[in-house]
Amino acid sequence: MFSSPHHDVAAYALGVLDEEDHEAFQRHLMTCEECQIELRELCEVPGFLDGLRRDRSNSMDDGRMSH
Amino acid sequence: MPVRRQLGSRFESTDTDVVLVEDLHREFGAPLLRHVRKAIGNDLQWAEDVVQETLVRAWRNAGRLQREPGLLWAWLLTVARRIVIDGRRRRGTRPQEVEPADANAVPVPDGADRALEAMIVAEALRELSPEHREVIEQTYLRDRTINEAAEILGIPPGTVKSRLYYGIRALRKVLKERGVAS
Ligand SMILES: [Zn+2]
Repeated sequence: MFSSPHHDVAAYALGVLDEEDHEAFQRHLMTCEECQIELRELCEVPGFLDGLRRDRSNSMDDGRMSH
Repeated sequence: MPVRRQLGSRFESTDTDVVLVEDLHREFGAPLLRHVRKAIGNDLQWAEDVVQETLVRAWRNAGRLQREPGLLWAWLLTVARRIVIDGRRRRGTRPQEVEPADANAVPVPDGADRALEAMIVAEALRELSPEHREVIEQTYLRDRTINEAAEILGIPPGTVKSRLYYGIRALRKVLKERGVAS
């Protein structure tokens, strides 16, 4: 799958970019309006996953999702 | 860059720095603390440290961030999350080990609401394609970076990023449809 620099916005919002990529994307963000808009849209999503992670701690200790 | 020079001169006036960070604290401190506590559980001291560190970093970038309304808040959330993840990795602790020691000590969001929300989010995740669900699980939900997840999954980092991008967008769409996300 093709990966554009703009795609890093999701990983950045989740805080999972490796250090070098994190710094690079931060610089990109300051100049890219498209990514600024997307970051605003995506920034609340990780918070919802946080709730899930805590919920999982009570039911599944290997962290796997049930299907 | 003019902004940098401006910030550079601010660096030298310590009193102004304190005031600016205090301004940020007044405006964003409380909502940011709520978000951070959701991510890290009941370690209130750590949560407050994360908020403070986030606001100091924000102040350093404020000149560039404030032009775009809403961006500063998005950026604060992101930076706070990054600080939490770094801290967690350094401590070698995982959120699974965080347990409320004393539920009465500090106000926490309602447990029932939280459980319901978690259920909706879990269901939303199951609606994603297996590839999208997998990268969300192998990165954020396990405190792994892109490169670490790429190695475990045996796919290029760029592919992890792309899948994460489409996966997170898809997740947000489902959560919006369910009336959870805005
Ligand atoms: Zn961009």
